[in-house]
Amino acid sequence: MVRLGSALATAIVIVVGIITFLGLVVGNGLGGLSTVINAFAFPTIANAFLQLTVITVAITVLIGIFNLVIVHLGRVFGRGKPFSQRINSLVLVVSAIGVIVLGALERAGVLTGSPSPTTVLLEGVQVSIESALAGLVLFALVYGAYRLMRRRVTGSGLLFTFVLLLILTGALPFSTPGMRLVGIVRDWLMAVPVSAGARGILLGIALAVTVAGARILIGQDRSYRD
Amino acid sequence: MDNTTQFLTIVIFFLTLVVTIIVTQFVRRRRSLYTLREIAAFQRLPSMIGEAIESNRPVHVSLGNASLGGESTVVALANAELFYQVTRRAVIGTAAPIFTVGDTSALPLAQDTLRRAYASRGIVSSAPYSSARWYPGGGHSLAFASALTATVADDKVGANILGGSFGTELALVGYAAARRNQSLIATSDQLEGQAVAWVMSDEALIGEEVFTAGAYLGESSSQVAGVVTQDALRFLLILGILVPTIITLGNTFSSGSFGAAVQRAIDFFQRLLGGG
Repeated sequence: MVRLGSALATAIVIVVGIITFLGLVVGNGLGGLSTVINAFAFPTIANAFLQLTVITVAITVLIGIFNLVIVHLGRVFGRGKPFSQRINSLVLVVSAIGVIVLGALERAGVLTGSPSPTTVLLEGVQVSIESALAGLVLFALVYGAYRLMRRRVTGSGLLFTFVLLLILTGALPFSTPGMRLVGIVRDWLMAVPVSAGARGILLGIALAVTVAGARILIGQDRSYRD
Repeated sequence: MDNTTQFLTIVIFFLTLVVTIIVTQFVRRRRSLYTLREIAAFQRLPSMIGEAIESNRPVHVSLGNASLGGESTVVALANAELFYQVTRRAVIGTAAPIFTVGDTSALPLAQDTLRRAYASRGIVSSAPYSSARWYPGGGHSLAFASALTATVADDKVGANILGGSFGTELALVGYAAARRNQSLIATSDQLEGQAVAWVMSDEALIGEEVFTAGAYLGESSSQVAGVVTQDALRFLLILGILVPTIITLGNTFSSGSFGAAVQRAIDFFQRLLGGG
C-alpha cells in the first residue's frame, strides 16, 4: 500500500511538473512545439497549478502563526524549562498576539491615527532593533575572521586574511602613491578573481539546481517517496 | 522570454534529463566504479552529531529564508535531504533535533523531514512536531537571525547545521554558536551568506556541495548518480566555455583566419556525414 502511494505521488509529480514546465517555458514562437503545447492548453493548466501553489502558500502563513504560538506556549508552560526560555517565549507570544489584535482593531476602524499604530510599532520597534543588530554584524564578522586563523593556520586562511586586509586598506581615502597602487590592486582583485570566483560558485549552484530539478521530475527525489 | 531563451532552456533541461536517466542506470549497475572525492564537512558531520548526542544536547538545523513555491524551492529540497540525513542520525539521542525555518511555506517540509527521520528508525510516533519551528523571516532578516541566536542559547544546542538561504546575518548566528562552543556547519545559496559561512563554520560547504549530501551521507546509488550527472554536465559546461574562448583567442592572434579554419572543419564534417 505504501509502495502504491509512493508510485502515485511520483506519477503526479512527474505529470504536474512536466506540464507546468512546458506551459511556462514554451511560448508562441517555437513552431510545431508551440502548436502542440497550446492545443493541449498547457499554459492555462500551468497557471491553474501556480494559483493553487499561491493559495497553499497563503494557508501555510496561518499554519506558521499557529505553530509559533503553540511551540512557544509549550515552552512557557512546559515542565523543566529554564527561566530565560520561558521569559523569551512569553515575550514572543504576547508580542505576536498583541500585534495581531492591534492589526485587527485597526482594520475594524476602532484604532485610528496617522501614522497607524502598526506602522509606529514597525518603525519604532522592529526597524530600530534590526538597525542595532546590523551594526553588530560587523563585529561578528571580525570575530569570525579572527577565529578562522585561531582555529588553524591554513594557506586558504592566510590568503583570505591577506586579501581582506588589502581590500580594506584599498578603501581608505588617502591619495599617496602607495595607496593609489593598493587601490589599483584592490580594483583588479574585485574585477577579476573575485568576480570569476563568484561566477564559478553561481554556475555550480545553477548546474546543481538544474540536475536536482530533473531528478525531482523523474521521481528520484526522496521527499515525496517515503 | 524570447524564442532563443525558450529554445535554450528546453534544450538544457532535456539534455539534463537524458544525462540523468542514462547516468542513473549506469551507476546502479556499476556502483563501485565511482569514488566520491572527500568533502571535509560531510566527514565531520557524523562526529558532530555524535558529540551532541553524548552531551544530551539537541542538533539544530535551519533552512534560513529558503521557501517552497519560490525561486529557492530546489535549494530548500536539497537542504531538506541534508537535514534528513542529519536528523536521521540525531533522533537516537534523548534531545530531539530542532528544525527552524524563516518562511511558513517551508514549515510542512520541516515537519515532513522530521517525520521521515523518525520513521526511518521505526519511532515515527515519537516525532515531536513542535521541534519544527517558524520564526518570521523575510529577505536578509535580522529578526530571524536574532531568533536563531536565542534558540542556540535557550535550547543549549550541541551542533548547528545551517543551509538554505542566508545573507550576512548568518554572522550573528555563527558568533552566538562560537561563544557557546557549539560546532557549526553552514552554507547558503547567496554569495554574501556563502562568504560568511566559509569564515564562521568549523567546516564549510561551498556552492553546489550541499546538493550532494544524499550521496555522501546516504547509501542510495541514485544519489551517487546525481553527483556523477553534475560532474558530466560540469564537463560539458567547461567545454562550452573553453571552445569559444579558444576560437576567440585564435582569431585575435591570427587575424580571423583561425575562425575561418574552424568553420571549414565544421563544413568538412557536415559533408562527411552526408550533409552535402
